[in-house]
Amino acid sequence: MNRPVLQIENARAYYIVENNYVRAIDDISIVIREGEVVGIVGESGSGKTTLSNVMLMNIKRPLSLIDGKVKLYSNGNVIELNKLSREELQKNIWGKETSIIPQSAMNALMPTKKIKDSILDVMKTHFEEIHEKEIIEKVQARFEEVGISKDVIFRYPFELSGGMKQRAVIAIATLLNPRFLIADEPTSALDVSTQKMVLKTIQDLREKEIVKSIAFITHDIATVRQIAETLVVMYAGKIVEISSIEDIIKEPLHPYTRGLLFSVVTPEPEVKKRGIYYIPGTPPNLMYPPPGCRFHPRCEYKLDICDKEEPKLKDVNGRKVACFLY
Amino acid sequence: MKSYALKPFLKYISRKFIFLLVTYFIAITIVFILPRAIPGNPLSTLLRQIFQQGQANPELIRSVHKTLMEEFGLGKPWYEQYIDFVTRAFRGDFGTSISSYPKKTLELIIPVMPWTLMLLIPSIITAWIIGNTLGAIAGYKRGSFTDRFTLNFSLIVSQIPYYWLGMLLIFTLSVKLHIFPGQGGYSQGTIPTFTLKFILDMLYHYILPFLSIVISALGGWAIGTRVLVIYELDADYVNFGELLGLKEKTVFRYIFRNSILPQVTGLALSLGGALGGALITEIIFNYPGTGYLLFRALSTLDYPLIQGIFIILIGSIYLANFFVDFLYALIDPRIRLGQSEGS
Repeated sequence: MNRPVLQIENARAYYIVENNYVRAIDDISIVIREGEVVGIVGESGSGKTTLSNVMLMNIKRPLSLIDGKVKLYSNGNVIELNKLSREELQKNIWGKETSIIPQSAMNALMPTKKIKDSILDVMKTHFEEIHEKEIIEKVQARFEEVGISKDVIFRYPFELSGGMKQRAVIAIATLLNPRFLIADEPTSALDVSTQKMVLKTIQDLREKEIVKSIAFITHDIATVRQIAETLVVMYAGKIVEISSIEDIIKEPLHPYTRGLLFSVVTPEPEVKKRGIYYIPGTPPNLMYPPPGCRFHPRCEYKLDICDKEEPKLKDVNGRKVACFLY
Repeated sequence: MKSYALKPFLKYISRKFIFLLVTYFIAITIVFILPRAIPGNPLSTLLRQIFQQGQANPELIRSVHKTLMEEFGLGKPWYEQYIDFVTRAFRGDFGTSISSYPKKTLELIIPVMPWTLMLLIPSIITAWIIGNTLGAIAGYKRGSFTDRFTLNFSLIVSQIPYYWLGMLLIFTLSVKLHIFPGQGGYSQGTIPTFTLKFILDMLYHYILPFLSIVISALGGWAIGTRVLVIYELDADYVNFGELLGLKEKTVFRYIFRNSILPQVTGLALSLGGALGGALITEIIFNYPGTGYLLFRALSTLDYPLIQGIFIILIGSIYLANFFVDFLYALIDPRIRLGQSEGS
């Protein structure tokens, strides 16, 4: 097995709302290894974006890391991100070691500056002395690598199309060759053909070893199966299943994973035959999560134990699932 | 790259300029109609004054009336009067004052204009800069002590009526403590000259009216900008910038630059609105500006003078707006370049 790049141990991250907790991330452990693309899927409100903030330790009120560790492995050293201050993270980690393609890349670029000037601002933050011409040449090379014209950097963000903007964001996010990259729903605002192009761009990032590993966050299993090897399925702030993507497609273990997989609408004939499927009910209020397994109120296979005890992740044929059925 | 950016910019500015001419035309039309819609005749007011001064000679009155009718062009049909008025207004001729007959209204207005502009432009801009900076810092440090202090201070200050603040300043700093003079634009008995002595004397008189406008205006700016900044704090480009490691200083600069845009429009409106507000400030401080002149014109029903002042005020508000549009195009590329997107 490859060396780990980022490791989360027993993380609990709660939103503190009027003396109450919203348990957005509840006891989650993940290891992301070198060369890996890990897909993280779940419905809206399952804690995916909170998890991405925990991975980077971008903890802003009202979010708070209650418990757990976030470790970054960098050239043989282990950096505990949860022990660093925001200033230290900003100075030494963000943009250099880690980076993110944000959820809404459409508005992720400073709107009233030319892209070139935004990039120079990032560079000025990380290096004391910069040679503008040299940097621009490097940046232009990176822009061409992700498939957009090098002249784009002399434009304003509002002059670009959605797909161009998304790829410009990818280029900027990976300028300093970060070890670990989070892609947070990078394709959800794009049309299907542009989605493919962006997915290909993200794949290239790893193949060209611009980044070591990627956490690809999405609600769309159909998208993530094209890019990830491992899939982490989240439900209501918990991990319910971790498996290789082939295994999950072939045989989803957790009832929630099954539901998620069946809700994918594809033009294949079997989908037409079985009709459109959705998971009945809604995700729970995480201020008062249901006892036992958090999925039990919506589960077709509910057992007596499900609303009494919390299922732990256990190994089933080399896969991991948190369900009493196994 | 240069010509690429310049062409839409020129187009934008020329479009604004044409718009400015059209609105100026509409404004002088309204200024023409309004006094004529008021019942009564400005000449009879003047003639009655002559009566009251005891000059009851009917021959004299008839000749005065005839001269005045000709002078003010009131004998002609309304459309001729209108064309006359518009052509003269575009040439900058607003007729003769009634109360200070036979002085031209412009001769009365031009000497007082610099006083008003000198008082208003620096004070409004100072209030704008201080208020926006305070508000931006408060918004950026939302929830901190700085934020709470600035918000409360701004709320109190913005609710103080500016004329009351002016009177309070006169009462405390002038009448009681004798630190600053309480009235006038310069010491009585001196003649405006370009000497250091006079300029210092003028600045000394300037401080209180200046302060009264700055203090009462900055609170509103601070409150507005604070909210705009708080909206901007969660913007996607802020989050992305932070996660790329941008320094707090740089992020603050980004937020400030983008949230200040609506306030630039606000600055134009306030430059316009404050010209009316300065009327009362100038009366309180006995300050020799257009506001004070307008006050005198209104109390003597000097219609040509009122018209002249209004046209000049409207004109300067338009110019301020035009200037701000120009500024807006400079600071927001979306406005400048957006013009070419449709074509």
